[in-house]
Amino acid sequence: MDIYRLAGRKFNIILLAIVLLLPLFISNLYYLHIINLAGIYTLITLGLNLLSGYTGQVSMGQAAYFAIGTYVSALLMIHFQISFWLAVPAAILAAGVFGALIGIPAMKLSGPYLVLATVGFGEITRLVILNWTAVTKGAAGLTAIPLPTFLSIKITSEQDFYYLIIAIVFVGTYIAYRLAHSKIGRTFSAIREDELAAEAMGVPVNMYKIAAFVISAMYAGMAGSLFGVFAGVASPDNFTFDDSVAFLCMSVVGGNRSIAGAIIGTFLLTVLSEALRTFQAYRLVIYGGILIFTVIYMPQGIYGMAPIFNKWIERQPFAKLLFWQKPSRE
Amino acid sequence: MQYFLNGLPIGAIYAVVALSYSLIYTSSGVLNWSQGDMVMLGAYIGFTLTQVFHWSFTPALLASMVVVGLVGVIVQRLILKPLRERKAPPINVVIATLGVAIITRNIALAIWGPDAQVFPSPVGDKPLQLSMISVTHQDILVVCVGILVMAILQYFLKYTKEGKALRAVAQDRRAAVLMGVDTQKSDAVAFAASAALGASAGILVAPIFFVTFNMGAGIGLKGFVAAVIGGLGSIPGSIAGGFFLGTLESLAGGQISSGYRDAITFALLILVLWLKPSGLFITKSRQKV
Repeated sequence: MDIYRLAGRKFNIILLAIVLLLPLFISNLYYLHIINLAGIYTLITLGLNLLSGYTGQVSMGQAAYFAIGTYVSALLMIHFQISFWLAVPAAILAAGVFGALIGIPAMKLSGPYLVLATVGFGEITRLVILNWTAVTKGAAGLTAIPLPTFLSIKITSEQDFYYLIIAIVFVGTYIAYRLAHSKIGRTFSAIREDELAAEAMGVPVNMYKIAAFVISAMYAGMAGSLFGVFAGVASPDNFTFDDSVAFLCMSVVGGNRSIAGAIIGTFLLTVLSEALRTFQAYRLVIYGGILIFTVIYMPQGIYGMAPIFNKWIERQPFAKLLFWQKPSRE
Repeated sequence: MQYFLNGLPIGAIYAVVALSYSLIYTSSGVLNWSQGDMVMLGAYIGFTLTQVFHWSFTPALLASMVVVGLVGVIVQRLILKPLRERKAPPINVVIATLGVAIITRNIALAIWGPDAQVFPSPVGDKPLQLSMISVTHQDILVVCVGILVMAILQYFLKYTKEGKALRAVAQDRRAAVLMGVDTQKSDAVAFAASAALGASAGILVAPIFFVTFNMGAGIGLKGFVAAVIGGLGSIPGSIAGGFFLGTLESLAGGQISSGYRDAITFALLILVLWLKPSGLFITKSRQKV
């Protein structure tokens, strides 16, 4: 039983209304900027959850696919004046190809070896972007990435981007949810739990493992092309090892074996790392402390605490008022 | 030949860091990402002792190894122990050690500030010309101390009670428990020894590069790469991997392109992982990777 089922459809409608009306209540554009960024990162984390949470393959190189998505779509838009909506599929495709490229050597690996292979891929990508100055402009980065248009409306303000990003995150979440609850998602989980048993049951394990890499890379590629148009500039500094680590932390802190966990973890850590700026020098010390605390005391992430939270809320006298329906007890 | 020689000192440092990864990985099964930051901490403590308190090199090296070793024990007690008691998945352990790395790095930033510090070489950096090739005294010192540290580790593992316990746990954790080995203690010893190894690498590398709060990330990653190329968990493999990586980097940087040097290293790494996952220098595969 999860909180959504407990709350019923009304909860979903309230949530949807809050999400749609949010920009009207946030007058500070900086806050909206952070929310938009978290939305873009959510796409990466969704893919990462399918890869590391469901299939059990840890990747510390997601920033590489993020970078590939950004650069492919931005370069197409700058040099060939292609519209954003055509650049996106190209970026997703390119990221997917690289996902397969790293998925093939990765299918034999696990544990620290897999971690290192993905770290290595991330570093190679960053170094190629840094040194291939003829195309990528090196450390200076790409500037003046064109803005996207939607039905001849030019998307310029933070509010416009908010709706664009939220729409894509909705679609991404829906696809991830359907994938996770389909035969593919169940196969991913079977591979995570026992690879040999899955193989013995006739599952083409290697194919599914590569597929998981490709899917996660495509999500990061999508996020990358959004990031390019959203930020307007892109340089190798946006795609470092630390970023890959941050994505992995979001996935694990939120709870990497669920789709909701990706969203919770990403928004929480993105907002947290901004909110901690008041502590200045000790910001990252506190951030690290929170990471350690979460992985020790919430091994399944924050979403893993949902059953405990549900039990707690059921016991509260206001539970009925809150959800307008009797909590189900089987 | 010159490139080969240039690669030796940095190779020795990679070998020491690779050993520290291997030691923790075999004895407690933990991939410790904070290892690089122990290198940084060792370098800073060595820097403070020699430059601020004017200690000489050897006591500073030993003191720094002891202090960072204690930090290793604290990490094991505060973080690894509760994780192990809760049977946390390996990914959580990785994230926890990343958390330690973030905390260490930023505490160092708060203490020593963001500027790079110069750590003058204890033996001076006048180059020694030998016909065609030149080496600095610092390079010789690094290689000698590096080999000495590795020899001491070997002695510790082979002939002391704690070292034997560590090897027993590495071989078979459950059997070791049944034989009365205190695994918590052996984990603590492994963390302390690894952190101390890292600290010695830090002091050795400090005069070659500058001491900065984020130096640990690069060295830690290279040390890990060396450990995997050589075969994670094997001591001779880690040493060979370290020297191999050092000379390879020197060659790639000098002969091909300095910008792509690290990219070449990582490409080789992925190739090694793909073709020979147990490492270049291990003949028989001991475990499924």
